[in-house]
Amino acid sequence: MKEEASATNDPRMPSAAKPYVSPTISPQDLPVDYAGFLAVIFGVFGVIFHYKLCSWLAIIFCAQSLSNMRNFEAEFKQISMAFMFGLMGLITIYFGPARQVKSNR
Amino acid sequence: MARVLSLILVLLLSISALSLISSSQFEGFDSDEASFSYEEEDLEAPLDPLPSASLPTISLSSPLEATPDPEHHPNPSTPTEKPHPNPTTTTPSHLQTDFWDEDEFEGIPSTPETIVIQESTDRESETKSIPESSPDPKPATPIKPSSYWVEIVCVSFLICFIINYFTGRKENETTALAWAAKFATKDSIFEKNFSLLGTGDGNDTPLLLKEGQDVFKFYASGRRYCQGMLATMYMHSRHDLIARVFGWVFPKKDIITFEVIMNDDAMDHVVLAVARKKEVKAMQKDEKDLQKYASPNAVAGPAGKRWVSDELAVISESKEVAWDLFNEAVLDQVFGDKAFEKVGKWFVSLHFSDQQPGLNKKVLLFKFVLPDIKHMADITKLVALVPYYIDIIGRYKLSSNARAKTEAARSKVAQEEFKEMQSARQEALQRRKSERRKQSEEAEAKLSAEALRKREEKERARQLKKSMPRVKMMR
Repeated sequence: MKEEASATNDPRMPSAAKPYVSPTISPQDLPVDYAGFLAVIFGVFGVIFHYKLCSWLAIIFCAQSLSNMRNFEAEFKQISMAFMFGLMGLITIYFGPARQVKSNR
Repeated sequence: MARVLSLILVLLLSISALSLISSSQFEGFDSDEASFSYEEEDLEAPLDPLPSASLPTISLSSPLEATPDPEHHPNPSTPTEKPHPNPTTTTPSHLQTDFWDEDEFEGIPSTPETIVIQESTDRESETKSIPESSPDPKPATPIKPSSYWVEIVCVSFLICFIINYFTGRKENETTALAWAAKFATKDSIFEKNFSLLGTGDGNDTPLLLKEGQDVFKFYASGRRYCQGMLATMYMHSRHDLIARVFGWVFPKKDIITFEVIMNDDAMDHVVLAVARKKEVKAMQKDEKDLQKYASPNAVAGPAGKRWVSDELAVISESKEVAWDLFNEAVLDQVFGDKAFEKVGKWFVSLHFSDQQPGLNKKVLLFKFVLPDIKHMADITKLVALVPYYIDIIGRYKLSSNARAKTEAARSKVAQEEFKEMQSARQEALQRRKSERRKQSEEAEAKLSAEALRKREEKERARQLKKSMPRVKMMR
């Protein structure tokens, strides 16, 4: 079954060799980046509603999206936006002005 | 995707704006209730009692020793022991003059002793009711680590994620390199069968192309009957902690696929697939070429001869092709009952087709499970199928009877496709016509009465011209 390379019966043909050409994939054909999408959603929720858990989850999903990134140009915009939202949420929660609460005294 | 995201963002922002408008926390519209700022952690700590307000008292230059309070020390241990002095008399309290500016105001006495504070009888009664010694304020309670549980969990998860990223990436790389070392280095099966190995042009180019942290590709070219071969390793996402945890719940195997692009003149009419019975059904649903050309029922073995293992099912365009391709040698080595017991756990599917949808029509697809480094030698027989079948299919020629059947099937499919194309074109034309009609009707409706009259007159003139007899000029 294994074909041994010999002088008479060598399957190799250097003349027929073609170098590898990587197929061009359009951004539409790329698989959906669910982690990046979730990161944006959680980031927005964290910023608007001041939920620190949402902002932390946005950072975590950003890390996941970044680790699974294949096409840098296509996916970097979404990841950077999600990271900015997550970071902005954390900054506003921890360093921003404290929220006002009404008390009956 | 971007539109959906922008829509969600707009909705969320509008909700937040409404909530802000509805709240009465704007400047000048404060509610009567006192508002105070807080940190989230402060809520958990108990509130300290407010210290009792003590009135300012004037201390003399030589403070007098106050008599001991019997309430504080009911039973002194020794009569000679001096009791604690009253804090109100001994400690000088803040005076009203403490914050006065000497340069700014004139006529204010410089010494605090001369200041006379006139107190009303009400104030005196208040001083009697207030206890002389206020209780010591409790120290602020330290923030418990339990109040930071979200931060602790998330930061620790991120640290674990980063550590796992590097370890998982290393695992995938070592597995891919182990495969390459076994099958793509010097004196290996692919080195003996292909003149060009790796994705580059030169000799010192890397064998593997890393497309992602979990996808590795190996390319080989320069062989008879085929243009090239692309082996793709789809690993489990070990670098991603979330995917790894998900993988523990729903286990997933590493897969290696070999895609061989055959020369146009090398491959005859062959449509065939081999896999486990459940997977064959799934393949028939998914793959268009198998839907159109392959028979729905599995091919039975030739009478009185061995056939593939009972676990497997073969679907083909013609029985003859299946019987010729699964000869005794292949059954002995891989697909026979005894051989498949050893190799079966690594086998997924074979799919040969000269009608593959896409750029390259004539393609051989091999799909195997990629074992770990220790068991890499177990798939040697399966990998050997790749060059073996390139030669078998490259040389293979159908009989005249089988060829007639396959050509008839192909012409039938081509006619169906042509009809579908024509019907699609006609539908598109009809849509365009209907759109034009609608547009013209809308334009007519918009026109004024005078314009309509003019148009009618023009139409009448045309009709009159048509009805007029034609006059031939004779010389």
